[in-house]
Order: sequence, then C-alpha cells, then structure tokens
Amino acid sequence: MGTKDVPPSIDTIPSSFVQFAIADKVIALGRANSLWPLTFGIACCAIEMMCTGAARFDLSRFGAEVFRPSPRQSDLMIVAGTISNKMAPGIKTLYDQMPEPKWVIALGNCAISGGPFVFEGQYGIVEGADKFLPVDVYVPGCPPRPEALIEGIIELEHKITGWRRWPKVKPEWRESGSDES
Amino acid sequence: MTEPISLQPDETFVLNVGPQHPATHGVLRVKMTMDGEYIYNAETVLGYIHRMHEKMAENRTYPQFMPNMGRLDYLSAMAFNHGYALVVERACGIEVPERAEYIRVITVELNRISSHLVWLGAYVLDLGGFTPLMYCFDDREQILDLLESVTGSRLTYCYFRFGGLYNDIDDDFISGTRAFIKRMRKELKMYAKLVTGNIILMRRLKDHGPVDQDMCQRYGATGPVARGSGINYDVRRNEPYSVYPEFDFEVPVYGECDSYARYLVRMDEMEQSLRIIEQALDKLPDGPVNPKKKPKLIKPPPGDYFAAVETARGNFGIRMVSDGSKNAYRLKLRSPTYSNMHLFDEACRGMLIADALAFMGSLDLVIPEMDR
Amino acid sequence: MKIQEKTKEALSTLFADLPSSEPEPDDAEEGEKKPVPRGNGIIEQDYLLKGFHLDVQLESEQLLEAVQIIFDLGYYLESITGVDWIKDDQLEVVYDFSRYDFDLCRTVLRTRLPRSAPQLPSITPIYTGASWHERETHDFFGIIFDGHPHLVPLLLPEDADFHPLLKDFKA
Repeated sequence: MGTKDVPPSIDTIPSSFVQFAIADKVIALGRANSLWPLTFGIACCAIEMMCTGAARFDLSRFGAEVFRPSPRQSDLMIVAGTISNKMAPGIKTLYDQMPEPKWVIALGNCAISGGPFVFEGQYGIVEGADKFLPVDVYVPGCPPRPEALIEGIIELEHKITGWRRWPKVKPEWRESGSDES
Repeated sequence: MTEPISLQPDETFVLNVGPQHPATHGVLRVKMTMDGEYIYNAETVLGYIHRMHEKMAENRTYPQFMPNMGRLDYLSAMAFNHGYALVVERACGIEVPERAEYIRVITVELNRISSHLVWLGAYVLDLGGFTPLMYCFDDREQILDLLESVTGSRLTYCYFRFGGLYNDIDDDFISGTRAFIKRMRKELKMYAKLVTGNIILMRRLKDHGPVDQDMCQRYGATGPVARGSGINYDVRRNEPYSVYPEFDFEVPVYGECDSYARYLVRMDEMEQSLRIIEQALDKLPDGPVNPKKKPKLIKPPPGDYFAAVETARGNFGIRMVSDGSKNAYRLKLRSPTYSNMHLFDEACRGMLIADALAFMGSLDLVIPEMDR
Repeated sequence: MKIQEKTKEALSTLFADLPSSEPEPDDAEEGEKKPVPRGNGIIEQDYLLKGFHLDVQLESEQLLEAVQIIFDLGYYLESITGVDWIKDDQLEVVYDFSRYDFDLCRTVLRTRLPRSAPQLPSITPIYTGASWHERETHDFFGIIFDGHPHLVPLLLPEDADFHPLLKDFKA
C-alpha cells in the first residue's frame, strides 16, 4: 500500500472568472450541506450505502440523503464496489454526465485499490477508482461501516467549505499511552 | 389483466436498461427490444461485476479462500460460508462438533431473514413505496448487531472455519436473539398489514411474471422462484445437511407461478426461519465449537466433490476438483440467481416494461453472486 | 424403483457395447503415479464422501442422447463447467444435474475433449437454461458448443479473446 503514485486530482473547483469571495463561500456552504449522491451501487459496499441512508444511520442529518438515479441530477458519485474492466467505461460515462461541480468518494477497499481482488494474474478489474477518476475522499473498509461513510461525507464537506462541521474526535487509546490493550 | 398486443417486429426499438439502473439492484444490463411499451425480446448482459472468484480459488489455499464467500453473495454470506465449509469438510473428512452445527444453523437463518428484509425493502421501493424500506432496515440492523457481536463484521462474514467456527456465542447473543424473535414476530404482522394486503401491490404482482414448472426445470431455477411455482424444493429438506433434519419447519410453497407467489414464499420463509432459530436455541448443546482433531494443513485427497446448501436465493452448489495440493485445482460456484435470472429473457416477452421490472425484483437478484 | 437405479438403467443403454466390467470407483482419473485413464461408463459414488450419486463419463457424441434421457427423467440442470487437465492435454466438461423431488440423485455427466480442438454439441435444444452456462464455459475455457444460438462472451467483455481459467493463461 502507498507505493504506487496516485495521479493528481483536480484541486481547484472550476468556477467563473469573476470571483465573489463571500458569495462563493455561501454557495460552497450550500453545496456542502446538500450533496446529492448518485444511486450507484456496484457491490457489497452499496448495501452499506443503503444502510447509511436508511433508518438507523440516517444520512439526511447531513443533507446528503437525496439519492438521485440520474447522473445529471447529482453532484456526488460514491463509487461503492469493485470496478471491473467491463464496467469502467460505464463509470467514466456516468462521471462525465454529472454536472460541475462534482465530487467522488471511493467507498471501500475495492474502489481504493482493488482490495482483496488484486492478485498476480488478475484479468478482470481496475485496481482503484483513482486510475481514471479524480477521487476526493477515500473511505477504507471491506465494507466500510456506515459511520465511516458519514465521516467521509463530513470530510468532503470539509474539503468543499474549508470548515469542518464537528471537531475531530481524538481516539482515546492514543492519549492514554501504550499500556492500553 | 394486460393483454399482450400482437407484436410487430418491424416497429420495434432497442431500450437499454442498466448497467446503472436503480431497479437492477447492481450493475446488470438488459437490452430490450420494445414494441411500444411491450417487450418484444430481451437479452441480459452480465459480467459488469465479474470478480474472478473461481480464478482466485486456484491461486489461494483453502482457508485463504474463505473470505471470498462473504463477498460472493453479500446478503446471505453465512449460507455461502456454510456451503464452502461443507465441501471442504466432506473432502477432508473433518467432523463438526454438534454445538458448532447448531450455531451454524442459527447464524445462517438469522442471515436469511436479514437478506429477505433487504429484498422486501428494496422490492417495495422498486414498486414505488418508500416507507417499508425504513422499517426493514431498522429490523435488519437488529440482526446485524447480533451477528456483529459474534462474527466481528456487519456484512461480509467470514465466520465459519473448516470443522467449526471462528468463536463461540455468548449469553448476550442468546438472549438478544430471543428478544429479536419476539420483536420480529410482531414486525411480520405489521408487514402483513403494511405491505402484503396492499391493494396496489397486489394489482401489480398478481398474475404478472409467469414462471411455470416446465420453465423452472429447463432453466434450473431454485429457491423462492421454484417454490413460487409450486415446486416443493428446498435443499434443507430435499438433501438434508448439517442438523436441519432435527428441526420442525415447513417449506412454504405457492402454486400461482406469479410474482405475488414468490413474494409470499419469502414472507413465509422469514417466519419459518424464526421457528428454526427458536428450536435451535432451545436445543443448543454444550461443548466445543471447534473439533479436537483437525488437519493442520487442508489438503483434500484428489478427486472431485460437491456440496449444496440453500441460500436465501436458492440452491448454491460448489463443485471442487482437488489434485491433492493445498490449492483447489478447480472450484466451480453454482450460484442460484444465475439460473433464476436466465429465465427472465424468456418470461418477460410480451410484458409491459413496468411489469417486467416488478418481475425482475421478484427474482431477488444479487449481481456479484451472478457474475462471480 | 428408486430413481438412482432407474437413471442408471436408462443410461447404461448408452454403454451397451462396452465390456461389462465396470471401472473401479476409486480415483482412476487423478493421482500422482501415472494413473490408468478412466474409461467411459457409469460409477455409483458414495454420496457422503463425494456429494453426488451417479458419475457418468461418456463420449461427446453420446452427450445429447444422455442429456435427453436425463431430461425425460425430470432432472434439472444445475451447472456446466470445465476442468483443464493440462497434463493429459485434455479439457473436461462436467454437467451437474439434480432433482426437484425427494428422491435424491445427483447425476454428473462428464466428457473429455482434446485440448487442441475442444468442440461439443450444445444442449440448449433440450435445456434452454444451458445457454448461459455454455457461454460461461466458452468464456473461461474456449470450448466451442456447436449449435449454440449465441456464443459470445457473457462474463468477460464483449471483445475478450482470452480464456482465463485455462492453466496456461497469463494475464
């Protein structure tokens, strides 16, 4: 892990020539708080994505529960699953059909690096969504828990607005030293 | 009901459904030749999530391949674990302790309920009702909590070991499961009121999606699809494995051959699964969950072996060809939806496209299991 | 009469001209030390040990006849698969059949083909559901099923020209 070069993602969001600093900030705030993900489940992670949107985890607390079936109505693509060679052109098309500005979350190990399906002599999958998409947030796990996806969405909001909705919670075990098992 | 109009092949056009389509529950593509709103012909295209499981089996040792089982059919991963464990145990002659067998049954049946709950929620969502999804996922979270406490994962379980289990269940799990059974019985009554008797649902499902017994035989359909066509076939009964013969349960069979029959089969199966779990908890013996004698290295003797289990979607079979080394020489996974989906092409001819999607949902598709 | 005996009787008509001695049931086909290649015929397997009851090896010309017998007896098709026996320079195609009723009898038909020219009649006229299984076997092993209506890649991309489950496949 971490040995391969990741292609640089687009780091500026294309916007108009004339910039209105405060207006842009307000618009970014609006965008961040109403992300519309594309209903696009590929494999196992899609079920966890459904869980995140459903009863217990309730993604609508963060304004991202409006799953749109059409790419033309959505601005967030959650790549939830393994990308096969046969599917990759389709995902590319879907991404191209989404209107700007748009973001990509790679959900799960398969979308990050190919996950458990990478082995010598593999013939069928693309090893990671970042091979052909600019990925903004990586959410690891196989599959990631719904909490992880929510954290990913909050992290994406952070990226869009430069402001984080909640302070990060420091894990307790780090503070209490090494004697904690 | 809808009368198929006389079809005019020269006035048709091609409609492409998928690979990204919410009703296909994954990346399935169906090329449909349409005559207006009616389907003239359909061709299903698979392979958009082909993940080389069978090739991986040849590259990995037997225990290393176990995690793949959870990723094949992520909704009823336990049953797939069971199938793979069965075939390797059969090949190597490993005895499974009784307690482990009972826990296997409990977890598999819990998983079956959770799988049917996802199907119910997603199916009604396909048909246009959003509310049941929330109820289903709420109930499903209770099962996931229970299973997570013993397996350590929420979805893609790798809980079975050859000859036993990863770990034992505790009292919390048992009391939690008993509480869940009580809750689920109440919830099932609620689903019956909320969904089953709904007039819109009935009008959309009854007499739609015909799958008769002859078609089942020609395509090899199993599971709720076969049982909705009046075929009394359940691997748990027809080819008893594990400790299933010791439980008293019924196999729901409906002879109407339509989508509504398949719907009712699944609803009844949840009830029967609850019965099995209840009996298994009552009979649960003490003892170890892993065998005392177990080969350090899993090396089945040369030859080929077969095992089949009943997953939430039907008969899952594994044909394993061993050459005596620590990798399988060939491992064929016979997945149930592969055969169940195949009959869609024939059965949907002359249907309205809206009915065809309702029919497709009633087959309960899990695409990664189909593509493998 | 149990279905196992019935099936055996029906299928044994195919092997009427063979010498009556049945091949030994233990692993005649694999093994380290130069095994005797298994001849055609029917073997009754121990279900508890193997997981299936009848194991039939036949020539590819007999396949359609055998499958018709199996179909008439009410079996359903479970799967079709291939095995690459690269050491023997052969490909094996395995057909699994099972039953819907309580008279359990899993039957396996297998036939061996030369690796250089793997051709087999398609059984889609009898079992319509064999279509996808045959396409899949064609994808993975390059076996050509004569008479198949639509033999194009199913699981692999449409333009795939490789057969990944052959033992000499290199990605």
